Amino acid sequence: MTSTNTNNQNNVDESFSNTEPKRVKVYVLENNEWKDNGTGFCTGEIRDVEEGDEITKSAYLVVSSEDDQKETLLRSKVEGNIEYQRQEETLIVWKDLNGNDIALSFEESIGCDTLCEFIIQVQRHIENSISLISVKSSDNGIGSVHEIVAGPVILPSTDKDQNTDTLYDALKIVNENSIYDYMKNETIEFILQSSYINLLIDHFHRAEKGKMIKDLFLLSTIIKTLILYNQRDIIELMVDDEHIMGIIGILEYDTEFPNLKANHREYLKLNGPCFKEVIPLENKDLELVVKKYFRLKFLKDVVLVRFLDDNNLNSFMDIILDLKTCIIDWLQTDPFLDKIMNIFSTDDDSSKKRDAIRLLHQYVGMSKDLDPIDKTKFYRTLVRKGLFNVLSYAFSQEKDSNLRILATDLIITIIEHDILLIHNIQNEKTKDTAIDDNFPPASDAITDDMKLLSILSTILLSDKSPGLMEQVVQALSTLLHPDGCLAGTDGEFSNFSSISSINGFDVNDSDNSYGMDGIFNSIDRDNNETEANKQLKIYFNKFYSQIAPFLFKPLMPKANIDCSELDDFLLIHLLKLISFIATEHTRLISRKFILENGILKTLSQLIGPTHILQLRLTAVRCFKNILNLNDKYYHRYIISNNLVDPIFELLKDNLFEDNLATSCILDLLNIVSLNCTLDSGKENDQNAKHNLTEKSKSLNKAKNNFTILNKHIIGKYGSIIKELSSFPFIREMFEFDRITNEIEKELDIETDIDRISPNDTDTNKSDATTENCKRSYSELETSENSNSNEDVSKFELDQHVVTS
Amino acid sequence: MELEKTIRLLKEGKHLSEERVYDICLKSQELLITEGNVTHVDTPVTICGDIHGQLHDLLTLFEKSGGVEKTRYVFLGDFVDRGFYSLESFLLLLCYKIRYPDRITLIRGNHETRQITKVYGFYDEVMRKYGNSNVWRYCCEVFDYLSLGAIINNRIFCVHGGLSPDVSTINEIKAIDRKQEVPHEGAMCDLLWSDPDDVDKWSLSPRGAGFLFGSNEVEEFLHTNGFELIARAHQLVMEGYKEMFDGGLVTVWSAPNYCYRCGNVAAVLKIDDQLERNYTIFDAVQPQDGVGNAIIPTKQPQMDYFL
Repeated sequence: MTSTNTNNQNNVDESFSNTEPKRVKVYVLENNEWKDNGTGFCTGEIRDVEEGDEITKSAYLVVSSEDDQKETLLRSKVEGNIEYQRQEETLIVWKDLNGNDIALSFEESIGCDTLCEFIIQVQRHIENSISLISVKSSDNGIGSVHEIVAGPVILPSTDKDQNTDTLYDALKIVNENSIYDYMKNETIEFILQSSYINLLIDHFHRAEKGKMIKDLFLLSTIIKTLILYNQRDIIELMVDDEHIMGIIGILEYDTEFPNLKANHREYLKLNGPCFKEVIPLENKDLELVVKKYFRLKFLKDVVLVRFLDDNNLNSFMDIILDLKTCIIDWLQTDPFLDKIMNIFSTDDDSSKKRDAIRLLHQYVGMSKDLDPIDKTKFYRTLVRKGLFNVLSYAFSQEKDSNLRILATDLIITIIEHDILLIHNIQNEKTKDTAIDDNFPPASDAITDDMKLLSILSTILLSDKSPGLMEQVVQALSTLLHPDGCLAGTDGEFSNFSSISSINGFDVNDSDNSYGMDGIFNSIDRDNNETEANKQLKIYFNKFYSQIAPFLFKPLMPKANIDCSELDDFLLIHLLKLISFIATEHTRLISRKFILENGILKTLSQLIGPTHILQLRLTAVRCFKNILNLNDKYYHRYIISNNLVDPIFELLKDNLFEDNLATSCILDLLNIVSLNCTLDSGKENDQNAKHNLTEKSKSLNKAKNNFTILNKHIIGKYGSIIKELSSFPFIREMFEFDRITNEIEKELDIETDIDRISPNDTDTNKSDATTENCKRSYSELETSENSNSNEDVSKFELDQHVVTS
Repeated sequence: MELEKTIRLLKEGKHLSEERVYDICLKSQELLITEGNVTHVDTPVTICGDIHGQLHDLLTLFEKSGGVEKTRYVFLGDFVDRGFYSLESFLLLLCYKIRYPDRITLIRGNHETRQITKVYGFYDEVMRKYGNSNVWRYCCEVFDYLSLGAIINNRIFCVHGGLSPDVSTINEIKAIDRKQEVPHEGAMCDLLWSDPDDVDKWSLSPRGAGFLFGSNEVEEFLHTNGFELIARAHQLVMEGYKEMFDGGLVTVWSAPNYCYRCGNVAAVLKIDDQLERNYTIFDAVQPQDGVGNAIIPTKQPQMDYFL
């Protein structure tokens, strides 16, 4: 026995009555031809019929002639199992119980709509067995598309005694009903209104006890089919307290693994309800939301992981996202969060504090895919309510690296969303309250907005956990990334069009053969900087004055730190950060810092053989990145201090090996060669050689950073590099060197470099280069020192560096 | 010995401590850093395609193809993502590499990157198994050290994706500093992302990275470098392998019933000393735990939960 969507006949809506007359033509099929029976007005009529004591209702389609209202053209009872077809927009066609084919052709589609709606109502309330089908020609014009609009829908049996047959039928029914929206919706309504799911769960317990394998697999397939309906209410119904265990139990049986049973219930019983409460959660509604969230994730990730298609998966994700938003919203309004934060300002035992960190980490993790505005709101609340106390605890008192990792992860999530959020709120807070000063190092000198950077730097230099170190580096890079500052402070992404000016790191823009142009441009642009730009500038300046000297201390020769004592992996991280600030930060500031502190000299030493190869190559890459900036000052500094020497020592040792060291250095040489080509343009062009002006132009171009570097490299290490002549770009390096020499000689231009033959000693050579460099600086100074004070001081710095 | 124990645990899909994973990753770095971007391998050797975290099928692969004790292997990348045991699969291969350095060559696939693994499962898997991302970070660092290709007896070129318009000779690959996240364009990207197709010139790839290349490009590359075959993976083949361009290129796919639902078989390609090609086809099997009980592969549920 199966039930249908029969509703109580007496339950007819009061408003359900005769329809407005609509103009229509009536046709009847006679001898295979449609005969026009006249034009009139069609109404749907409801009549009460007395049958003995009972009054029942009947429905009719009536058409009265437009010529004579009293003449009835058609009076057809809506009854039995008549199938009405709505063809396209204006036609209703059916065969009545006497076998007559009748068609109503409406003047307007709106008239057809009215009568179709009438038929639908009749199907719902009076004659359940009739149906209305919509027939439309398909998009490609071939054939037609049938869609049920109303009609009897067969539904699964709600008999209390389920058995293999009823289940089999039910499976067939839910499968078939999923094809048409109408039937699907009726089925969904049925599932939600009846207690069919409970019925299945009851039978499941019997079937499991009685080892009725067939029934178990049928139940599982029925539930899965219902999940494929992809209907939010059904999915939510399945994961509520009443149904979850039954549903998960049923899903432990899977036809894909006929000999196995999963143990989802056992897992949920042991771990699921064992939600840890750091402090008692009083809001029971929220408890259910959190549990639903957990259960849906469990269904998605574990129980149904091989089953859900992309569509289902999206539905699950949508529901999960809604629940998350709800949870995060609640956290901010309820005093719960205050209580959690309070744990850190009391003497509660450390295990409670640890759990509180884990809890906060969980909720911040949960917030990751929320709407950006919701995220900003949540993070601001967190910071306002005292997130810093939590961090302070995690980084100064807590010794367990794992918890520090969670705390760092939490910060990263927040700063990746908005790097200024923490320090802005911190600034606003410090105006009224002093924050406890547990942080190393010498916190007197560190302003509050630098506190986070300071903490992270301290951890990087002191904590030995490799995972934590990597995370901290990520956090530092995020905090120090100029692009990150694009995110506004109010949770909306403001578009600061001139923001890049403060960074001046646009390599392409600033470094076409004369490295300084771009920088001056960016300074010009700085003149109309916005308030936000100013703040950023201050922020980065503070970093270089307060944090960088501490963070990069191990790399400063002055500090007299024996690098061999330091962890090579720490040095790798520091080198990556140097690479980062050199390439991403305002050139003026980062270069000043790097050169003034002799950091490149340490870098050069790190390429030496006492260190692990990973570090040595990281140092080579750092040079590569800096050389690639095509910055006159860096290039001259590196050449005059012979800083690339160790690179070629390393190359010499690996010359006949095929390994990452050779690849890494080959890549560096390729960059040099490539930049010579790019910058010197027509140097290879034979025609250019015959024309003196062209030649001098070439030479001018030839005197760029890379041709000078090329000369330096070929002059000093030509014999090593020659071994690599199988690479075309190596041969080009020699060719560039030859052409440069040739042009210079021909033009009889006396340069210091020219006077040194390749056989001269290294010292002479480098002196000469230094001399050459000095000259180029003074040139620059006289031609360009009309610029701002800041620039003059920078030139002084550079001179100081070069001559020292 | 410690390593043997680790291998056993991994085969059973058991949890390793973060420290242990770090050690494995560090040792692997040290080995991989000595390898060229294109490593040279001798016959006989068995070439394997995508694995995608299907640990139990990887174990079958070893079983059906002789095992690492007796056989030399080249893996063409895509060890992680999609399947539920990315971590164990990748670490097992690394352990074998440490244990038998000359028997296992690992080539980087397009899934061996930070960006891709964050989206396609490996990152989430580690987060579920460890509650933090450390182990994922260690593995990603190893990804950066993996070779980009291999050459068998100077005659067969192995790569994950395919050819690049920027690479006409093997020498050009050697000058790439491969220790980096896979870029979005250029030779390194193409080698990991390109696909062969019925095209008459380099064409845009629907994947949004790498190129489509046809028989002309393959012929030219083989001729220039004196090769007879390009062995690559990267694309699901229902039959496990597919030769194209008069046998000048083969796609090898080694993840049976891909994503636990595609219904495909898997293959490995054995190259003998005469450079003859022998394909071994295998099917997905019912996974087992360490003591022989059948298990249903699934993701590990998240650990603690806080209210």
